Amino acid sequence: MKFFRPSRPLSAVATAPLVIMFCCLALAVAPLFSRVASWALAAFLIAGLTRLHLNRRAARLPSLALKVVLFGSAAGAIAATYGTMVGIEPGLTILVVLVALKMIEANGERDFQVLALLGYFLCLCALFFSQDLLLWLYVGAVFALLSAALIRFHSAPRSAWRPVRTALALTLQAVPIIALLFVFFPRSSSGFRFQFNRSLLGSSGMSDRLSPGSVAALALSEDIAFRVEFPDGATPSISQMYWRGPVLWRGDGLTWVAGPPLPLERRTGQLGGPGIRQQISLQPHGGRWIFALDRPLADTPRFEIQPGGYLLNSRPIFGTLRYDVVSRPENHELTLPAEQMRAALAPAVRPSPRIAALVAEWRRDAADGREIVDRALRHFHVEKFSYSLNPGTYGDGALEEFLFERRIGFCEHYAAAFASLMRAAGLPARVVLGYHGGELNRLGRYMIVRQSDAHAWAEVWLQGSGWLRVDPTEVIAPDRISSGLASYLQTRGDGLDSATGGDSDAARGWRDLSRELGLAWDNINYQWEQRVLNFDEDNQRAFLVQLGFATSQWIPLAFITLTAIGGVLVLVSAWLRRPGRSHRDEAGRAWTEFCARIATAGVRREAWEGPQHFGQRAAAQLEESRDGILRVTDLYSRIRYSPTPPAPAELRAAVRELALEKK
Amino acid sequence: MKPRRKSETRNPKLETEPRTAFVFPTTRVMPNRNTVGLFAVLLAMWYAGVTQNNGAAYLLCFVFLGVSLVSIVHAWANLRGIAVEAHVLRAAFAGEEFAVNVRISSARRRDLDGIYLLPADGGTSAHFPLVAADAPADGRLTVIAARRGVFATLRLQIESNYPLGFFTARSTGEVAAPHTVYPAPRGELPLPISVTAARSGSGGLRAEGDDFAGVRAWRAGESQRHIDWKAVARGQPLVIKEWSGDTDGTVLLAWESLGDLPTETRLSQLARWIAQAERGGQLYALRLPGVQLPAARGEAHYHACLRRLAEFPAEVEA
Repeated sequence: MKFFRPSRPLSAVATAPLVIMFCCLALAVAPLFSRVASWALAAFLIAGLTRLHLNRRAARLPSLALKVVLFGSAAGAIAATYGTMVGIEPGLTILVVLVALKMIEANGERDFQVLALLGYFLCLCALFFSQDLLLWLYVGAVFALLSAALIRFHSAPRSAWRPVRTALALTLQAVPIIALLFVFFPRSSSGFRFQFNRSLLGSSGMSDRLSPGSVAALALSEDIAFRVEFPDGATPSISQMYWRGPVLWRGDGLTWVAGPPLPLERRTGQLGGPGIRQQISLQPHGGRWIFALDRPLADTPRFEIQPGGYLLNSRPIFGTLRYDVVSRPENHELTLPAEQMRAALAPAVRPSPRIAALVAEWRRDAADGREIVDRALRHFHVEKFSYSLNPGTYGDGALEEFLFERRIGFCEHYAAAFASLMRAAGLPARVVLGYHGGELNRLGRYMIVRQSDAHAWAEVWLQGSGWLRVDPTEVIAPDRISSGLASYLQTRGDGLDSATGGDSDAARGWRDLSRELGLAWDNINYQWEQRVLNFDEDNQRAFLVQLGFATSQWIPLAFITLTAIGGVLVLVSAWLRRPGRSHRDEAGRAWTEFCARIATAGVRREAWEGPQHFGQRAAAQLEESRDGILRVTDLYSRIRYSPTPPAPAELRAAVRELALEKK
Repeated sequence: MKPRRKSETRNPKLETEPRTAFVFPTTRVMPNRNTVGLFAVLLAMWYAGVTQNNGAAYLLCFVFLGVSLVSIVHAWANLRGIAVEAHVLRAAFAGEEFAVNVRISSARRRDLDGIYLLPADGGTSAHFPLVAADAPADGRLTVIAARRGVFATLRLQIESNYPLGFFTARSTGEVAAPHTVYPAPRGELPLPISVTAARSGSGGLRAEGDDFAGVRAWRAGESQRHIDWKAVARGQPLVIKEWSGDTDGTVLLAWESLGDLPTETRLSQLARWIAQAERGGQLYALRLPGVQLPAARGEAHYHACLRRLAEFPAEVEA
């Protein structure tokens, strides 16, 4: 079997466009590298280099049989790597393999166009995973380079940069059209939908389950959980910023889960205090819950209130979600539905004797629930419990080990242990997951809440006053609550890494500067997200209403849009039709200038007049410049028609020296 | 005073363009087969924007769409004002290919990118990756001669996929290129018998002709084309087969001798006879209605006869 066929010499691609296309495709694949099987990346590189190697005179390109064998083995390798051919990672791997195979066989215009289209599609794929501004700028640059590669293929420009310049010119001239499309192209988010499943998005964030280490695992992540704007300007103090998330009802020592669904009793008017309006844009986390300041109103549109007073979205959140929510800080709930009471009391396992003894002592001394809570908190304080990001792992009997032996933990340990102790003491208790605090971006006047702000706290039901938020971390590590985790760890020397450990002035200055720059960049990114990425159906409608259109008038809108786009194209074409002046044709330019000058002196050259004839006529009419005129016309005709033409510079000099008297 | 450049540059080609250059008129930009792929990728971007609520994908879709629309205008502008001169090298028989030398330049003094120049009615194209603004580019294309006749122009088409290749700009025009297409030499009728026996001086045998005249030994320096290789294979010495044409006779190739055939068939038969007679080294005369070419032979006579055939008015269809 012949595995190589001769390359068709007529359609063989020149080396330069091939190299450029290969580089562009490599750049387009780069953002996907963690999503694609590594052997596919290797295959991609090998395919590109092979094709470049084959771009020699009389080299043969692979035959169809070889390509079928290659594709078959790639498909087999994908099945072996992922166990399936469906899903986005196998899909991307197939795409990369296809690009690699297409690259090997690329040998003509058609193949080249297909390669470019695959490259544009790879650009799109990169945007599935992140819509960060930096990534978009990168993708935009790759897009322009791909266009430049196509331009280079279709032309043989004088300089290497000209295709890039042309591609940029195309993009710049398209900017008005892009803006028009962006504003007027009908956006719809309804109708058909498909979503990637969670693992593909690599979304990080908390789950609806609390176990030792689950919050600490997030503590070093600088990823943004959500950003918040307070449109009414009412910003609570940082220490009061408890961002409420899922509420966990079923506890087992240090591990808490949401538990079975509880029936919801819809009652209103239980929250009090000033309403704080928030506009939150939540990064995807793959769950349905959303976050809001403690506690969100039950009748928040779009969301469903849950027992425990947190909100659920109608489907898992896989894209940035932007929502408005109002919270009130006070809770006036005085009666608890029976099912919730039962769920909040039930200990999953019987407390051990040591714990029972400890709790019994508190119960004996305390007059009411609040005193039990105080006793427990005092216990954490007095017994030298310590707060650490790396408390080590807890095994069986975790709760007892934590309370009586190691006495070291992170906020999830304290919240879980506290709630477990309260239940052992007969008080209804639950654990709340969420975030605490955040960082204010003064430039954009919004809060950034990062994964490192993840937090867990407990709530205890007190007869007569309702649910009371108890944050044991506040007792163990008060600074953590008042100033946030990062600065807490810094001041404690429990360094995030050794590089920031040395606290010289220079180091601190550098840290502050990079923090400021980071905040400035985050602001740009946030504005990008708010103004560009989140420009959806609703925003479009609002914007069009501002412009004075109702969205129902789509026919005039479409007409206006298309006319405007047509107008832009006409302008571009007018710009492209401007007469060209050759940079090389010095003689022509000098002659043009000469004719213009003679014309101002009163003798216009007729269209049918040759240089000699015109020269004679002009010389006759402009006697005093006779010699100069004849010299110019003679030089010009010799440049144009003589087999040994004089240098154009000579003509230019002659034109410049020509003295004319104005009439 | 600043020269009024605008009025001057409006007709920049007046001085420098040769008179025969043809400037292609209106250009049309049409979708090609790559446009389908373009729309598929645009659709994918839009679909991702809708279903994923992915604003970045929407934006990429708009950028791609906008750039594609602008590329249409660029494709159109690239072909504007292309001047082409064409020069046909020699006459050809109908059905044959003939070569055309072309010179392409920009009447607007702009660089032209990726131009294909091709005959509108079949043939091979010439590709000009770049025609610099100030330097006309030369190329050669071949045209398939469709019909016999004498033509003043050649129908040529310019095409370019520049800049992105998703649209093709095209323009067609009749470029001045005088050329003659002889009738296709066809017909099975034998060459007419010699009418006169005017002996020519040279006489004797010629190496070319239709009748086998015998063999002789090959002499070093002679062309190897006429060696009887079959005989060599049989082990015989190198000999040359000789063919004779009757150099004595003069044939009269007359229109009226083909009385009952249609015009084009007659012309084809005459063309074949002319070729046969010329190859055979015979003197031949041509008689057409209103045309009489005296007996002669040689290249000039040969072409003169064929040209008369090409010029022959086409039959007026009832």
